[in-house]
Amino acid sequence: MPDITDKARDEFFSEAQEIIETLSRNLLSLDAAQKAGKEDPSLINEAFRAVHTLKGLAGLFGAIRLGAFSHRLEDLLDDLRLGRLDLRPEVLDVLFATVDAYGRILQIEKDGRDDDLPSVDDLFRRLDRLGANVERGASPVGDYELDPGMLAVLTEYEEHRLRANIEQNLKLYRLRVQFDLSTIDKALDDMKERAKQHGEIITYLPTGEATGADAIELDLLLASRDDLATLIGSLGADNVVIEESPRRRRSVAPSASPQRGSVLGGSSPRAVDGFDRLADANALEAGPSLRSLTQTVRVDIRKLDHLMNIVGELSIVRSSLSRIAERLRGEGSRQLATELMRLHRNFDRRLGEMQDGILEVRMVPLGQVFDRLARVVRQISRDLGKEIRLVITGAETEIDKLIVEELSDPLMHMIRNAIDHGIESAERRAEVGKPLAGTIALNAFQKGNHVMLEVEDDGRGIDEVALVEKAVQSGKIGRHEASELVRDEVLALIFVPGLSTREQVDDLSGRGVGMDIVKTNINKLGGVIDVHSDTGIGTKMAITLPITLAIVSALLVRAHDQVFAIPLSTVSEALSFDPRSVRKVESREVITVRGSSLPICDLGKLLGLPVPLEDRRRRFVVVAALGNRRLGLVVDHLYGQEDIVIKPLGPSLSRVRGFAGATELGDQRVGLVLDSGAVIEEVLSGVEAPRERLSVLHG
Amino acid sequence: MADLTRAPAARLSRRGTETAPLREFLIFVVGAELFGIELTAIKEILSPPPITPVPRSEKEVLGVCSVRGLLVTVLCLRRKLRLRELPNGKRSRILLTTSASGETLGLLVDEVRQVVRLQPSEIESAASTLGSDASEHVVGVARPPGSFVVLLDLRTILPS
Repeated sequence: MPDITDKARDEFFSEAQEIIETLSRNLLSLDAAQKAGKEDPSLINEAFRAVHTLKGLAGLFGAIRLGAFSHRLEDLLDDLRLGRLDLRPEVLDVLFATVDAYGRILQIEKDGRDDDLPSVDDLFRRLDRLGANVERGASPVGDYELDPGMLAVLTEYEEHRLRANIEQNLKLYRLRVQFDLSTIDKALDDMKERAKQHGEIITYLPTGEATGADAIELDLLLASRDDLATLIGSLGADNVVIEESPRRRRSVAPSASPQRGSVLGGSSPRAVDGFDRLADANALEAGPSLRSLTQTVRVDIRKLDHLMNIVGELSIVRSSLSRIAERLRGEGSRQLATELMRLHRNFDRRLGEMQDGILEVRMVPLGQVFDRLARVVRQISRDLGKEIRLVITGAETEIDKLIVEELSDPLMHMIRNAIDHGIESAERRAEVGKPLAGTIALNAFQKGNHVMLEVEDDGRGIDEVALVEKAVQSGKIGRHEASELVRDEVLALIFVPGLSTREQVDDLSGRGVGMDIVKTNINKLGGVIDVHSDTGIGTKMAITLPITLAIVSALLVRAHDQVFAIPLSTVSEALSFDPRSVRKVESREVITVRGSSLPICDLGKLLGLPVPLEDRRRRFVVVAALGNRRLGLVVDHLYGQEDIVIKPLGPSLSRVRGFAGATELGDQRVGLVLDSGAVIEEVLSGVEAPRERLSVLHG
Repeated sequence: MADLTRAPAARLSRRGTETAPLREFLIFVVGAELFGIELTAIKEILSPPPITPVPRSEKEVLGVCSVRGLLVTVLCLRRKLRLRELPNGKRSRILLTTSASGETLGLLVDEVRQVVRLQPSEIESAASTLGSDASEHVVGVARPPGSFVVLLDLRTILPS
């Protein structure tokens, strides 16, 4: 194909990436099933289909290396799914290695380079060796007492599974189910899911029987150990007829194949997906099935940013509308003003819907990054010879796509640390009576406008004594100062650059370059990270992140003579300020709010703004809260709440601390957006973030 | 194009037709002096929109403003060249330019005068003629009829 546009190429790469991620997920499930001693042939089949699709795509885009590699891998997976090769641990290892190899190949194809990839070549040879011992061209079913009409429509794979099930003396059942065409996607998936609990679905085909215009009848061929009564009890319904099919039997679906196209023509593309015989190795090359099988589009996130900017500008128009309406009312044009107000409200509502819609598109489940991490856990645990059980909860929690992209590196560091430093050796675990396999838990959940992410291990916990000793020895803190650190301060030492409690430096961690970078990256995303540790029980790192970076509700305030926006997600309340209630505790100003003391700070002074001449009468305290830290910011005026689009400050201002960006306020003016996390840390640095204090003392 | 460029070139250079390429400079006023920046480096000249100061930024940063939705950091050339502070007048303008890293930056100047075309031979080395603090940012000086223009090196003025 000579003229493939850049856009098509981009799409090709992102689709390839997605397929490889699917493959990776399948392999992980396969690994888990294998460890649990279960066999799920559909997983291998799915992996096969993924690689097959990739091969087709590669061919289409002239990605030779990708195509050749996929071809070889496809052969191996074909051998596996057809039972010509056993899924031994070393086979699984090779399969896992292919995911990384794909990553490398894809990068090279993307850059249009032609470098040597020794590791991929090596993997090629390993694939070849595995394939060499396989007997190919096993004889097709012939000696079977099954109806040729049915056999004719079975693919080689289905035939193999049928044979395997019959050899195990399972019974065969035919489930004749009527589906509503409009809901068949979900209903069929649902049916398959439930039927799978009883055995394996060999195939499913339309019966071709006349049904209503909106319905379709399918036969599902199920191999199961359960008897008919059990199945009817579990799967029976008005639209389901279940029969046991004796081995010598008439065709299950006599006229299935010619009917297929016409029955489904014009229905939803998803339905076609369900019947598309990708397992039939020639289907992709045939052409028509290459058209996209899903109804999704991929969009560059910058385009969404652009849309969001337009929404931001429209909300400025909205404010002007209401101003004009007010003015009209003042000038006596009451009726016009009322009409304009109505328009304004309508506009306001629609704009809100549009904003929500765009935000929703940006959201992706955290599962995307968790899958990658699961692969890392497997790799590291093998490298270190530590058995690790990874427990993931909340993979469906959604967060801004941009945040997800930035999360994988920090999380990877944290998991490496947890496995390397946290989890003890098997011998040690046995001594203290812990289960031999260490557990790493990745938990995600939404909490208001934030997403919480926890990385937890059941290892030895942070050795606080060693950590302090190391900090003293490396000159990060003085001996005397060390003796005065409270517990939180001690734990926060792990974020000090250059500190690592591990004596030996190795490949994984122990160079002390991990956690300070993790912290910086999380802070950049507007998040904070907290450490909890119990000696002998484990360590927990908790990350608090905003759901989105694109648009936020903010409280507009004035400090001295300048307007600032404070993201509402970090504001817990705003109070009237009474200067007489201020006390001094350890050189810090605090006030008492509902019985507990709250450190406060004058925002204008903190930022070094010129002091206004006029005498301030009434002032306010905005309580900023992030994680478990709270700080009262004293400001001069509260303007109210507004939805704002945050634009980052330019690189020339990157060294200025305390601001998350700027936003347009209408009437052409720009307001700075406070980075509450940074401000809180800066002010409270004496307690929660020794790093800042240390750098003041020693830097 | 040739017709359009000949007239001012001839007027300003008074050297008739020479073969060496002419360089165009935008001439503007900062403080009481005339400065020039190569025209190709200037993307746009704006009347200053409201500028929001950025606390804790370096002294020469005036603040940020919005140019049709784009957030632009504005530098004060007066402060950058360590010239006397003056209140902004009606003729103040912002020159939009791009730093080496691709960031759009604004330079506040007191007044924009004109564009001159200079022969390379008309640009004198600055070392002998200028002793001020600004010298690190200067590539040369030129003497169009009746005036003295300091030509600035944008690369050293803009933060890298």
